[in-house]
Amino acid sequence: MAVPISQMWTVATYVLKKKFTGEKRYPLVLMLEPLFRCNLACAGCGKVQYPPHILKKQLSPEECFAAVEECGAPMVSLPGGEPLLHAQIVEIVNGLIARKKYIYLCTNALELKRRLPEFTPSKYLTFSVHLDGMRDHHDFSVCREGGYDIAVEGIKEAVKRGFRVTTNATFFDGTDPNGVRGFFDEVMDMGVEGIVLSPGYSYDKAPDQTKFMGRARVRRLFRAILSNRKPTWKFNMSPLFLEFLMGDRKYECTPWGSPAFNIFGWQKPCYLLQDGYTETYKELIETTKWEDYGVASGNAKCANCMVSCGYEPTAVIEGFGSLKGFWGMVRGTFSSYKDAHALKLLNDSAPHGPAKLVQIAEPAQSLVESGR
Amino acid sequence: MTAEVLKYTMQQVEDLELAPAAQHEKLEGWVPDLVGEEDLRQALEKAFDYRGDVTVTLKSGERIEAFIFNRRSGATLIDSYVQYYTPTAPEKRKLTYAEIARLEFTGKDRAEGKHWEDWVKKYNEKKAAGEKNIALVPDALD
Repeated sequence: MAVPISQMWTVATYVLKKKFTGEKRYPLVLMLEPLFRCNLACAGCGKVQYPPHILKKQLSPEECFAAVEECGAPMVSLPGGEPLLHAQIVEIVNGLIARKKYIYLCTNALELKRRLPEFTPSKYLTFSVHLDGMRDHHDFSVCREGGYDIAVEGIKEAVKRGFRVTTNATFFDGTDPNGVRGFFDEVMDMGVEGIVLSPGYSYDKAPDQTKFMGRARVRRLFRAILSNRKPTWKFNMSPLFLEFLMGDRKYECTPWGSPAFNIFGWQKPCYLLQDGYTETYKELIETTKWEDYGVASGNAKCANCMVSCGYEPTAVIEGFGSLKGFWGMVRGTFSSYKDAHALKLLNDSAPHGPAKLVQIAEPAQSLVESGR
Repeated sequence: MTAEVLKYTMQQVEDLELAPAAQHEKLEGWVPDLVGEEDLRQALEKAFDYRGDVTVTLKSGERIEAFIFNRRSGATLIDSYVQYYTPTAPEKRKLTYAEIARLEFTGKDRAEGKHWEDWVKKYNEKKAAGEKNIALVPDALD
Protein backbone atom coordinates (compact mmCIF):
# COMPACT_ATOMS: atom_id res chain seq x y z
CA MET A 1 0.00 0.00 0.00
CA ALA A 2 1.36 3.42 -0.96
CA VAL A 3 -0.19 5.40 1.88
CA PRO A 4 2.50 6.94 4.16
CA ILE A 5 2.84 5.60 7.71
CA SER A 6 1.94 8.96 9.31
CA GLN A 7 -1.39 9.01 7.44
CA MET A 8 -2.11 5.38 8.30
CA TRP A 9 -1.32 6.11 11.96
CA THR A 10 -3.67 9.10 12.00
CA VAL A 11 -6.50 7.07 10.48
CA ALA A 12 -5.81 4.00 12.63
CA THR A 13 -5.86 5.93 15.90
CA TYR A 14 -8.97 7.82 14.78
CA VAL A 15 -10.82 4.54 14.01
CA LEU A 16 -9.72 2.96 17.29
CA LYS A 17 -10.78 6.02 19.28
CA LYS A 18 -14.24 5.89 17.68
CA LYS A 19 -14.44 2.17 18.37
CA PHE A 20 -13.58 2.59 22.04
CA THR A 21 -16.00 5.49 22.49
CA GLY A 22 -18.73 3.42 20.86
CA GLU A 23 -19.56 5.98 18.17
CA LYS A 24 -21.63 4.14 15.59
CA ARG A 25 -21.52 6.53 12.65
CA TYR A 26 -18.49 8.68 11.95
CA PRO A 27 -16.79 10.09 8.85
CA LEU A 28 -13.42 9.08 7.48
CA VAL A 29 -13.21 11.33 4.42
CA LEU A 30 -15.11 14.56 3.92
CA MET A 31 -16.03 14.97 0.25
CA LEU A 32 -15.76 18.74 0.12
CA GLU A 33 -16.98 20.06 -3.23
CA PRO A 34 -15.93 23.73 -3.34
CA LEU A 35 -17.61 24.29 -6.73
CA PHE A 36 -19.29 22.42 -9.58
CA ARG A 37 -17.69 24.42 -12.42
CA CYS A 38 -15.33 22.41 -14.64
CA ASN A 39 -13.05 23.03 -17.60
CA LEU A 40 -13.92 19.68 -19.13
CA ALA A 41 -17.30 18.62 -20.49
CA CYS A 42 -17.14 14.86 -20.03
CA ALA A 43 -20.21 13.22 -21.54
CA GLY A 44 -22.29 11.51 -18.92
CA CYS A 45 -20.76 13.42 -16.00
CA GLY A 46 -23.22 13.55 -13.12
CA LYS A 47 -21.58 16.41 -11.24
CA VAL A 48 -21.70 19.45 -13.51
CA GLN A 49 -25.17 19.46 -15.06
CA TYR A 50 -26.37 22.73 -13.54
CA PRO A 51 -27.51 26.15 -14.80
CA PRO A 52 -24.73 28.78 -15.13
CA HIS A 53 -25.75 30.64 -11.94
CA ILE A 54 -25.17 27.44 -9.94
CA LEU A 55 -21.86 26.76 -11.69
CA LYS A 56 -20.68 30.25 -10.75
CA LYS A 57 -21.31 29.68 -7.06
CA GLN A 58 -18.57 28.38 -4.82
CA LEU A 59 -17.85 27.71 -1.17
CA SER A 60 -15.76 30.31 0.64
CA PRO A 61 -12.66 29.15 2.55
CA GLU A 62 -14.53 29.86 5.80
CA GLU A 63 -17.43 27.62 4.75
CA CYS A 64 -14.93 24.87 3.86
CA PHE A 65 -13.16 25.12 7.23
CA ALA A 66 -16.46 25.15 9.13
CA ALA A 67 -17.58 21.95 7.36
CA VAL A 68 -14.25 20.25 8.07
CA GLU A 69 -14.39 21.16 11.74
CA GLU A 70 -18.05 20.26 12.04
CA CYS A 71 -17.63 16.68 10.84
CA GLY A 72 -14.09 16.05 12.15
CA ALA A 73 -12.96 13.61 9.44
CA PRO A 74 -9.18 13.07 9.35
CA MET A 75 -9.08 13.15 5.54
CA VAL A 76 -10.61 15.61 3.07
CA SER A 77 -11.17 14.97 -0.60
CA LEU A 78 -11.61 18.05 -2.78
CA PRO A 79 -13.51 16.94 -5.88
CA GLY A 80 -15.80 19.10 -7.98
CA GLY A 81 -16.08 20.44 -10.65
CA GLU A 82 -12.45 21.31 -11.02
CA PRO A 83 -11.05 22.62 -7.72
CA LEU A 84 -8.17 24.42 -9.44
CA LEU A 85 -10.73 26.79 -11.00
CA HIS A 86 -11.59 28.06 -7.51
CA ALA A 87 -9.85 31.41 -7.05
CA GLN A 88 -9.18 30.70 -3.35
CA ILE A 89 -8.18 27.05 -3.62
CA VAL A 90 -4.67 27.74 -2.29
CA GLU A 91 -6.13 29.42 0.81
CA ILE A 92 -8.49 26.47 1.28
CA VAL A 93 -5.69 23.92 0.96
CA ASN A 94 -3.37 25.84 3.28
CA GLY A 95 -6.15 26.16 5.86
CA LEU A 96 -6.75 22.41 5.76
CA ILE A 97 -3.04 21.68 6.08
CA ALA A 98 -2.93 23.97 9.11
CA ARG A 99 -5.72 21.81 10.56
CA LYS A 100 -3.58 18.69 9.87
CA LYS A 101 -6.08 17.16 7.49
CA TYR A 102 -4.86 14.75 4.82
CA ILE A 103 -6.10 16.29 1.57
CA TYR A 104 -6.73 14.68 -1.79
CA LEU A 105 -7.16 17.48 -4.31
CA CYS A 106 -8.91 15.76 -7.24
CA THR A 107 -8.02 17.45 -10.49
CA ASN A 108 -8.10 16.83 -14.22
CA ALA A 109 -4.69 18.56 -14.16
CA LEU A 110 -5.39 20.87 -17.09
CA GLU A 111 -4.37 23.76 -14.81
CA LEU A 112 -2.00 21.85 -12.56
CA LYS A 113 1.36 22.77 -14.05
CA ARG A 114 0.44 26.46 -14.18
CA ARG A 115 -0.80 26.60 -10.59
CA LEU A 116 1.79 24.37 -8.90
CA PRO A 117 4.10 27.25 -7.87
CA GLU A 118 1.29 28.56 -5.64
CA PHE A 119 1.29 25.37 -3.54
CA THR A 120 3.85 24.08 -1.05
CA PRO A 121 4.64 20.35 -0.86
CA SER A 122 3.37 18.76 2.33
CA LYS A 123 2.73 15.27 3.63
CA TYR A 124 -0.86 16.42 4.07
CA LEU A 125 -1.41 17.35 0.41
CA THR A 126 -1.88 14.90 -2.48
CA PHE A 127 -2.83 15.83 -6.01
CA SER A 128 -5.16 13.07 -7.17
CA VAL A 129 -5.08 13.36 -10.95
CA HIS A 130 -7.96 12.01 -12.98
CA LEU A 131 -6.52 9.66 -15.60
CA ASP A 132 -8.87 7.00 -16.94
CA GLY A 133 -6.33 5.06 -18.99
CA MET A 134 -3.69 5.42 -21.62
CA ARG A 135 -3.68 8.41 -23.99
CA ASP A 136 -6.45 7.44 -26.44
CA HIS A 137 -8.65 5.96 -23.78
CA HIS A 138 -8.33 8.91 -21.39
CA ASP A 139 -8.84 11.55 -24.08
CA PHE A 140 -11.96 9.79 -25.26
CA SER A 141 -13.21 9.34 -21.73
CA VAL A 142 -12.89 13.04 -20.87
CA CYS A 143 -14.03 14.15 -24.34
CA ARG A 144 -10.90 16.12 -25.09
CA GLU A 145 -8.08 15.09 -27.37
CA GLY A 146 -4.78 16.25 -25.92
CA GLY A 147 -6.09 16.12 -22.34
CA TYR A 148 -3.85 13.19 -21.43
CA ASP A 149 -0.64 14.93 -22.47
CA ILE A 150 -1.48 18.05 -20.45
CA ALA A 151 -2.36 15.96 -17.39
CA VAL A 152 0.83 13.92 -17.62
CA GLU A 153 2.88 17.08 -17.93
CA GLY A 154 1.23 18.32 -14.72
CA ILE A 155 1.86 15.00 -12.94
CA LYS A 156 5.53 14.99 -13.87
CA GLU A 157 6.02 18.58 -12.77
CA ALA A 158 4.25 17.91 -9.45
CA VAL A 159 6.39 14.82 -8.82
CA LYS A 160 9.52 16.82 -9.71
CA ARG A 161 8.56 19.53 -7.21
CA GLY A 162 8.16 16.97 -4.42
CA PHE A 163 4.37 16.79 -4.17
CA ARG A 164 2.48 13.64 -3.34
CA VAL A 165 0.66 12.56 -6.52
CA THR A 166 -1.77 9.73 -7.21
CA THR A 167 -3.82 8.94 -10.29
CA ASN A 168 -7.54 8.34 -10.07
CA ALA A 169 -9.35 6.18 -12.65
CA THR A 170 -12.95 5.11 -13.13
CA PHE A 171 -13.71 2.02 -15.20
CA PHE A 172 -16.93 1.39 -17.07
CA ASP A 173 -18.46 -1.54 -18.92
CA GLY A 174 -16.31 -2.74 -21.79
CA THR A 175 -12.99 -1.80 -20.15
CA ASP A 176 -10.11 -3.89 -21.45
CA PRO A 177 -8.28 -5.35 -18.41
CA ASN A 178 -5.03 -5.70 -20.36
CA GLY A 179 -5.17 -2.04 -21.30
CA VAL A 180 -5.68 -1.12 -17.64
CA ARG A 181 -2.66 -3.18 -16.57
CA GLY A 182 -0.55 -1.45 -19.20
CA PHE A 183 -1.86 1.86 -17.90
CA PHE A 184 -0.73 0.91 -14.36
CA ASP A 185 2.82 0.34 -15.68
CA GLU A 186 2.69 3.70 -17.41
CA VAL A 187 1.58 5.73 -14.38
CA MET A 188 3.98 4.04 -11.98
CA ASP A 189 6.79 4.99 -14.39
CA MET A 190 5.72 8.63 -13.96
CA GLY A 191 6.77 8.41 -10.31
CA VAL A 192 3.34 8.66 -8.69
CA GLU A 193 2.86 7.49 -5.13
CA GLY A 194 0.01 5.17 -6.00
CA ILE A 195 -3.08 4.43 -8.05
CA VAL A 196 -6.70 4.99 -7.05
CA LEU A 197 -9.45 3.25 -8.96
CA SER A 198 -13.17 2.66 -8.87
CA PRO A 199 -15.94 1.11 -10.95
CA GLY A 200 -18.31 3.61 -12.56
CA TYR A 201 -21.66 4.50 -11.10
CA SER A 202 -24.85 5.83 -12.66
CA TYR A 203 -25.35 9.24 -11.01
CA ASP A 204 -28.96 10.27 -10.67
CA LYS A 205 -28.28 13.70 -12.13
CA ALA A 206 -26.11 12.45 -14.99
CA PRO A 207 -27.32 12.53 -18.56
CA ASP A 208 -29.07 9.22 -19.18
CA GLN A 209 -26.83 6.29 -20.01
CA THR A 210 -27.95 2.95 -21.29
CA LYS A 211 -26.23 0.63 -18.85
CA PHE A 212 -23.68 0.26 -16.10
CA MET A 213 -21.74 -2.72 -14.86
CA GLY A 214 -23.59 -4.80 -12.32
CA ARG A 215 -21.77 -6.39 -9.41
CA ALA A 216 -21.03 -9.73 -11.11
CA ARG A 217 -19.36 -7.95 -14.02
CA VAL A 218 -17.43 -5.57 -11.75
CA ARG A 219 -15.99 -8.51 -9.82
CA ARG A 220 -14.85 -10.27 -13.00
CA LEU A 221 -13.26 -7.12 -14.40
CA PHE A 222 -11.38 -6.30 -11.22
CA ARG A 223 -10.32 -9.90 -10.67
CA ALA A 224 -8.75 -9.83 -14.13
CA ILE A 225 -7.11 -6.45 -13.50
CA LEU A 226 -5.92 -6.84 -9.92
CA SER A 227 -4.82 -10.50 -9.75
CA ASN A 228 -1.22 -11.39 -10.64
CA ARG A 229 -0.03 -7.91 -9.68
CA LYS A 230 3.34 -6.58 -10.65
CA PRO A 231 5.58 -5.61 -7.70
CA THR A 232 5.94 -2.11 -9.13
CA TRP A 233 2.22 -1.34 -8.78
CA LYS A 234 1.22 0.62 -5.69
CA PHE A 235 -2.35 1.41 -4.73
CA ASN A 236 -3.35 4.35 -2.58
CA MET A 237 -6.33 2.41 -1.30
CA SER A 238 -7.17 -0.15 1.34
CA PRO A 239 -6.09 -3.65 0.17
CA LEU A 240 -9.33 -4.94 1.68
CA PHE A 241 -11.37 -2.66 -0.60
CA LEU A 242 -9.47 -4.00 -3.61
CA GLU A 243 -10.28 -7.54 -2.44
CA PHE A 244 -13.93 -6.47 -2.24
CA LEU A 245 -13.79 -5.34 -5.87
CA MET A 246 -12.22 -8.66 -6.84
CA GLY A 247 -15.05 -10.54 -5.12
CA ASP A 248 -13.02 -11.92 -2.21
CA ARG A 249 -14.90 -9.94 0.44
CA LYS A 250 -18.54 -9.08 1.02
CA TYR A 251 -19.10 -5.60 2.41
CA GLU A 252 -22.03 -3.36 3.22
CA CYS A 253 -21.94 0.29 2.29
CA THR A 254 -20.87 2.87 4.90
CA PRO A 255 -22.45 5.97 3.33
CA TRP A 256 -21.73 8.20 6.33
CA GLY A 257 -18.02 7.30 5.98
CA SER A 258 -17.60 9.83 3.14
CA PRO A 259 -20.15 12.62 3.74
CA ALA A 260 -20.41 15.28 1.05
CA PHE A 261 -20.68 19.02 1.57
CA ASN A 262 -21.21 21.59 -1.19
CA ILE A 263 -23.04 24.85 -1.94
CA PHE A 264 -26.38 23.12 -1.27
CA GLY A 265 -25.41 21.83 2.19
CA TRP A 266 -24.76 18.32 3.54
CA GLN A 267 -25.87 15.84 0.89
CA LYS A 268 -28.21 12.97 1.80
CA PRO A 269 -27.34 10.13 1.93
CA CYS A 270 -23.92 10.03 0.25
CA TYR A 271 -21.55 11.54 -2.27
CA LEU A 272 -23.27 9.77 -5.18
CA LEU A 273 -26.98 10.01 -4.45
CA GLN A 274 -28.73 13.35 -4.09
CA ASP A 275 -31.80 12.68 -1.99
CA GLY A 276 -31.83 16.07 -0.33
CA TYR A 277 -29.68 18.29 1.88
CA THR A 278 -29.35 19.27 5.51
CA GLU A 279 -27.96 22.43 7.05
CA THR A 280 -25.70 20.66 9.54
CA TYR A 281 -23.64 17.49 9.71
CA LYS A 282 -25.44 16.50 12.92
CA GLU A 283 -28.77 16.75 11.13
CA LEU A 284 -27.40 14.65 8.26
CA ILE A 285 -26.37 11.87 10.62
CA GLU A 286 -29.51 12.03 12.76
CA THR A 287 -32.24 12.49 10.14
CA THR A 288 -31.08 10.37 7.19
CA LYS A 289 -32.97 7.08 6.97
CA TRP A 290 -29.77 5.05 6.56
CA GLU A 291 -31.71 1.78 6.46
CA ASP A 292 -33.14 2.86 3.08
CA TYR A 293 -29.70 2.83 1.45
CA GLY A 294 -26.90 0.39 0.77
CA VAL A 295 -27.03 -2.89 -1.03
CA ALA A 296 -28.81 -4.75 1.79
CA SER A 297 -31.72 -2.30 1.64
CA GLY A 298 -32.66 -3.52 -1.83
CA ASN A 299 -32.71 0.10 -3.00
CA ALA A 300 -32.39 -0.04 -6.78
CA LYS A 301 -30.22 3.09 -6.76
CA CYS A 302 -27.62 1.26 -4.67
CA ALA A 303 -27.77 -2.02 -6.58
CA ASN A 304 -24.83 -1.48 -8.93
CA CYS A 305 -22.71 0.54 -6.55
CA MET A 306 -19.31 -0.77 -5.48
CA VAL A 307 -17.77 2.68 -5.40
CA SER A 308 -14.95 3.57 -3.03
CA CYS A 309 -16.79 6.41 -1.25
CA GLY A 310 -19.26 3.88 0.19
CA TYR A 311 -17.24 0.71 0.50
CA GLU A 312 -13.69 1.85 1.23
CA PRO A 313 -14.74 3.25 4.62
CA THR A 314 -16.11 -0.21 5.44
CA ALA A 315 -12.76 -1.73 4.46
CA VAL A 316 -10.74 0.87 6.39
CA ILE A 317 -12.85 0.41 9.53
CA GLU A 318 -12.37 -3.35 9.32
CA GLY A 319 -8.66 -2.95 8.61
CA PHE A 320 -7.92 -0.72 11.57
CA GLY A 321 -10.74 -1.85 13.83
CA SER A 322 -9.89 -5.54 14.27
CA LEU A 323 -6.79 -7.74 14.42
CA LYS A 324 -8.20 -9.97 11.69
CA GLY A 325 -8.78 -6.97 9.45
CA PHE A 326 -5.33 -5.58 10.18
CA TRP A 327 -3.71 -8.89 9.32
CA GLY A 328 -5.72 -9.00 6.08
CA MET A 329 -4.43 -5.55 5.24
CA VAL A 330 -0.80 -6.49 5.91
CA ARG A 331 -1.15 -9.69 3.88
CA GLY A 332 -2.87 -7.82 1.05
CA THR A 333 -0.14 -5.17 0.95
CA PHE A 334 2.52 -7.75 0.17
CA SER A 335 0.52 -10.23 -1.91
CA SER A 336 0.64 -10.38 -5.70
CA TYR A 337 -2.72 -12.24 -5.72
CA LYS A 338 -1.55 -15.01 -8.01
CA ASP A 339 -4.53 -16.50 -9.80
CA ALA A 340 -4.26 -18.78 -12.83
CA HIS A 341 -7.93 -18.35 -13.69
CA ALA A 342 -7.59 -14.56 -13.74
CA LEU A 343 -4.57 -14.91 -16.00
CA LYS A 344 -6.72 -16.93 -18.38
CA LEU A 345 -9.35 -14.19 -18.29
CA LEU A 346 -6.69 -11.71 -19.36
CA ASN A 347 -5.46 -13.89 -22.18
CA ASP A 348 -9.00 -14.61 -23.35
CA SER A 349 -9.97 -10.95 -23.32
CA ALA A 350 -7.14 -9.88 -25.62
CA PRO A 351 -6.14 -12.80 -27.84
CA HIS A 352 -4.91 -10.55 -30.64
CA GLY A 353 -3.03 -7.85 -28.75
CA PRO A 354 -4.31 -4.65 -27.15
CA ALA A 355 -8.02 -3.99 -27.53
CA LYS A 356 -9.46 -1.10 -29.53
CA LEU A 357 -10.68 2.00 -27.80
CA VAL A 358 -13.48 0.41 -25.82
CA GLN A 359 -16.14 3.05 -26.23
CA ILE A 360 -16.09 2.95 -30.00
CA ALA A 361 -15.38 -0.73 -30.45
CA GLU A 362 -17.73 -3.61 -29.80
CA PRO A 363 -17.96 -4.34 -26.07
CA ALA A 364 -15.23 -6.69 -24.84
CA GLN A 365 -16.24 -10.31 -24.71
CA SER A 366 -17.77 -11.39 -21.48
CA LEU A 367 -15.30 -12.65 -18.91
CA VAL A 368 -15.99 -15.85 -17.01
CA GLU A 369 -16.16 -15.47 -13.27
CA SER A 370 -13.66 -17.30 -11.11
CA GLY A 371 -15.13 -20.02 -8.93
CA ARG A 372 -13.03 -18.91 -5.97
CA MET B 1 -36.92 11.28 -5.21
CA THR B 2 -37.57 9.08 -2.23
CA ALA B 3 -35.63 5.87 -1.83
CA GLU B 4 -37.06 2.86 -3.62
CA VAL B 5 -36.61 0.24 -0.94
CA LEU B 6 -36.72 -3.54 -1.23
CA LYS B 7 -36.60 -3.65 -4.98
CA TYR B 8 -33.73 -6.14 -5.23
CA THR B 9 -32.79 -9.09 -3.06
CA MET B 10 -29.13 -9.48 -2.06
CA GLN B 11 -28.75 -12.43 -4.43
CA GLN B 12 -30.21 -10.48 -7.34
CA VAL B 13 -27.82 -7.63 -6.64
CA GLU B 14 -24.80 -9.91 -6.45
CA ASP B 15 -25.74 -11.62 -9.71
CA LEU B 16 -26.42 -8.41 -11.61
CA GLU B 17 -24.53 -8.28 -14.93
CA LEU B 18 -25.79 -4.93 -16.11
CA ALA B 19 -27.55 -2.33 -14.04
CA PRO B 20 -30.05 0.02 -15.59
CA ALA B 21 -29.04 3.66 -15.35
CA ALA B 22 -31.26 6.44 -14.03
CA GLN B 23 -33.83 7.54 -16.58
CA HIS B 24 -35.27 11.02 -16.75
CA GLU B 25 -38.47 12.33 -18.26
CA LYS B 26 -38.28 15.16 -20.76
CA LEU B 27 -39.54 17.99 -18.59
CA GLU B 28 -38.25 21.10 -20.34
CA GLY B 29 -41.23 23.32 -21.17
CA TRP B 30 -43.67 21.29 -19.05
CA VAL B 31 -46.33 23.12 -17.06
CA PRO B 32 -47.94 20.67 -14.65
CA ASP B 33 -51.62 20.90 -13.96
CA LEU B 34 -51.75 21.53 -10.21
CA VAL B 35 -55.32 20.55 -9.41
CA GLY B 36 -54.86 18.88 -6.05
CA GLU B 37 -52.26 18.62 -3.28
CA GLU B 38 -50.82 15.40 -4.67
CA ASP B 39 -50.27 17.04 -8.09
CA LEU B 40 -48.23 19.76 -6.41
CA ARG B 41 -46.18 17.30 -4.37
CA GLN B 42 -45.39 15.18 -7.43
CA ALA B 43 -44.54 18.20 -9.58
CA LEU B 44 -42.16 19.57 -6.93
CA GLU B 45 -40.52 16.17 -6.65
CA LYS B 46 -39.86 16.37 -10.40
CA ALA B 47 -38.61 19.93 -10.06
CA PHE B 48 -36.16 18.70 -7.41
CA ASP B 49 -34.87 16.09 -9.87
CA TYR B 50 -34.79 18.53 -12.80
CA ARG B 51 -31.38 19.69 -14.00
CA GLY B 52 -32.46 23.18 -14.93
CA ASP B 53 -34.30 26.21 -13.57
CA VAL B 54 -38.05 26.37 -13.05
CA THR B 55 -40.36 29.33 -12.66
CA VAL B 56 -42.52 29.35 -9.55
CA THR B 57 -45.58 31.58 -9.35
CA LEU B 58 -46.68 32.27 -5.79
CA LYS B 59 -50.25 32.67 -4.64
CA SER B 60 -49.29 36.32 -4.06
CA GLY B 61 -48.66 36.63 -7.81
CA GLU B 62 -44.87 36.96 -7.50
CA ARG B 63 -42.85 34.95 -10.07
CA ILE B 64 -39.51 33.44 -9.07
CA GLU B 65 -36.94 31.84 -11.33
CA ALA B 66 -35.33 29.13 -9.23
CA PHE B 67 -33.04 26.14 -9.20
CA ILE B 68 -34.70 23.82 -6.69
CA PHE B 69 -32.02 21.75 -4.96
CA ASN B 70 -33.86 20.45 -1.94
CA ARG B 71 -37.34 19.58 -0.77
CA ARG B 72 -38.83 18.23 2.39
CA SER B 73 -42.27 16.74 2.28
CA GLY B 74 -44.19 17.04 5.54
CA ALA B 75 -47.70 16.11 6.64
CA THR B 76 -49.26 19.31 5.35
CA LEU B 77 -48.35 21.80 2.62
CA ILE B 78 -47.35 24.33 5.29
CA ASP B 79 -44.97 21.76 6.81
CA SER B 80 -43.43 21.03 3.40
CA TYR B 81 -40.87 23.21 1.70
CA VAL B 82 -38.43 23.57 -1.17
CA GLN B 83 -35.02 25.24 -1.02
CA TYR B 84 -33.68 27.05 -4.06
CA TYR B 85 -31.18 29.46 -5.52
CA THR B 86 -32.18 32.25 -7.90
CA PRO B 87 -29.88 33.49 -10.69
CA THR B 88 -29.38 36.82 -8.91
CA ALA B 89 -29.41 36.30 -5.13
CA PRO B 90 -26.35 34.77 -3.44
CA GLU B 91 -28.17 33.07 -0.56
CA LYS B 92 -30.33 29.94 -0.31
CA ARG B 93 -34.04 30.62 -0.11
CA LYS B 94 -37.02 28.63 1.09
CA LEU B 95 -40.72 28.39 0.13
CA THR B 96 -43.46 26.32 1.69
CA TYR B 97 -45.52 24.20 -0.67
CA ALA B 98 -48.56 26.15 0.54
CA GLU B 99 -47.26 29.36 -1.07
CA ILE B 100 -46.96 27.88 -4.56
CA ALA B 101 -49.68 28.40 -7.17
CA ARG B 102 -47.99 27.43 -10.44
CA LEU B 103 -44.84 25.72 -11.65
CA GLU B 104 -43.21 25.91 -15.09
CA PHE B 105 -40.14 24.01 -16.25
CA THR B 106 -38.81 27.05 -18.09
CA GLY B 107 -35.05 26.56 -17.85
CA LYS B 108 -32.96 24.45 -20.19
CA ASP B 109 -32.38 20.84 -19.13
CA ARG B 110 -28.61 21.01 -18.64
CA ALA B 111 -28.11 17.30 -19.22
CA GLU B 112 -29.96 17.18 -22.53
CA GLY B 113 -27.73 16.25 -25.47
CA LYS B 114 -24.84 15.32 -23.19
CA HIS B 115 -25.34 11.58 -23.20
CA TRP B 116 -22.35 9.33 -23.68
CA GLU B 117 -23.91 8.05 -26.89
CA ASP B 118 -24.17 11.64 -28.21
CA TRP B 119 -20.44 12.09 -27.71
CA VAL B 120 -19.56 8.77 -29.40
CA LYS B 121 -21.66 9.76 -32.43
CA LYS B 122 -20.16 13.26 -32.58
CA TYR B 123 -16.64 11.92 -32.19
CA ASN B 124 -17.03 9.37 -34.96
CA GLU B 125 -18.48 11.99 -37.32
CA LYS B 126 -15.69 14.49 -36.64
CA LYS B 127 -13.01 11.83 -36.90
CA ALA B 128 -14.42 10.65 -40.22
CA ALA B 129 -14.34 14.26 -41.45
CA GLY B 130 -10.62 14.42 -40.61
CA GLU B 131 -10.93 16.88 -37.73
CA LYS B 132 -8.12 17.16 -35.18
CA ASN B 133 -8.22 18.05 -31.48
CA ILE B 134 -11.80 16.88 -31.12
CA ALA B 135 -13.33 17.97 -27.84
CA LEU B 136 -16.51 18.93 -26.06
CA VAL B 137 -16.38 22.29 -24.33
CA PRO B 138 -18.26 23.34 -21.18
CA ASP B 139 -21.35 25.53 -21.63
CA ALA B 140 -20.70 29.26 -21.44
CA LEU B 141 -21.50 30.73 -18.03
CA ASP B 142 -22.94 34.01 -19.31
